[in-house]
Amino acid sequence: MSDFDFDIIRRSWPLMREATWVSVQVFAWSLVLASFIGLLFALMRLSNVRALRWIAGIYVWIFRGLPALVILFFAFFWVGRVLDLTSFQAAILGLGVSSGAYKAEIIRAGILAVDNGQREASDALAMTRAQSMRRIILPQGIRVMIPNYVSNSTLLFKSTSLATVIGLNELTGKSRQLANSTFKPIEILTAAGVIYLVLTSVLVGAQVLLERRYSVKA
Amino acid sequence: MDVQFFIDVFPKILEGLTLTLSLFLWTLLFSTFLGLVLALMRLSPIPPLRWVSAVYGWLLRGIPLLLLLFYVFFALPEFGDFFILSPFRSAVLGLTLWTASYQSEAIRSGIISVEKGQYEASEALGMSRAHQMRKIILPQSVRIIAPPFTGNAINALKQTSLATVITVAEMTGITRGIISSTFQTVEPLFALALVYLALTTVLVFAQSGLERVFRLKT
Repeated sequence: MSDFDFDIIRRSWPLMREATWVSVQVFAWSLVLASFIGLLFALMRLSNVRALRWIAGIYVWIFRGLPALVILFFAFFWVGRVLDLTSFQAAILGLGVSSGAYKAEIIRAGILAVDNGQREASDALAMTRAQSMRRIILPQGIRVMIPNYVSNSTLLFKSTSLATVIGLNELTGKSRQLANSTFKPIEILTAAGVIYLVLTSVLVGAQVLLERRYSVKA
Repeated sequence: MDVQFFIDVFPKILEGLTLTLSLFLWTLLFSTFLGLVLALMRLSPIPPLRWVSAVYGWLLRGIPLLLLLFYVFFALPEFGDFFILSPFRSAVLGLTLWTASYQSEAIRSGIISVEKGQYEASEALGMSRAHQMRKIILPQSVRIIAPPFTGNAINALKQTSLATVITVAEMTGITRGIISSTFQTVEPLFALALVYLALTTVLVFAQSGLERVFRLKT
């Protein structure tokens, strides 16, 4: 093994920085989409209307049962072709839809964890179901959701790497190209690993802060 | 959708099933063993063992699996001819290293959830630490380990699809081949999705079966 070549990392940095930014953008947008889908399907799953519960149940079953890679293929080769999506948009769609199924379960568990007395009390105060969900149940459920929600989001960030397979120039795919063209796979892939570690560590730090912020003051 | 083509494409995709399943089973076997070792190291009274295990978990859970697979396949051979592995072995190695970091957390949290009195009682009976772990603690923790453990195993099954990126011709790889040679996307993708959904659904049933077996009889 030759010596570790820092210079090649310095020279590849502009391209890697650009690719990192693509990864972060895909992550941010698919997180927004996944959170929206997750909340929607969690509420449907807990609805009084049987049809809504079924639809949500089937959604979760299908999208948790498929590899994210296969969902990305669907988003790119099928939906993407019909709607003429770029690989960037298809990646957001595929990852958002896939992660949304997990978020739905996490949000549902958080809502169910809120003590039933809270529901009864808001009923007694003549709140509508929507009001009690928004004002009473969800704010308390968030506390329970945070740890799983954030660690699932960390997984989502790592999954953005899959978008390389549908032709997106994100960090993992770009690093593989650079590793090929520079013949320095150890240096380039290690650098990419460090970038991911820093960013996932930031997310884990955010989790600790959020948990502290939302913990019950004794 | 061309129904005849959809039916024709099944047997071709199923040719990759053996490879998918052997990736999964080898990964499951090795990652369970490595995960157990890492969990015991993490709980060891010897600080360096604890550190090594903690750093391992931080590193492996901080990077995408795809990057790890690239590292194993492209960068590892640079360290010496010994590390030149076939695509299949590279995939098993990458999947094992990654899954083990999650399994070690599942096993560790199961072990620490066993009540303290059990440790004290087995010490009072003069058991050695190894004896106590094997006969008293692990059998009781299996109940708590089972749900997250099978959850990680199901994830591992889905993640075998990434092996296609380092040229393993498992089911997803075969499907990609069919898509690029026939330019038909919908039929092969739906067929592939059905097979994965069947596999993960079987595992989910196995999971709830296991949980029933390990439930405490009251």
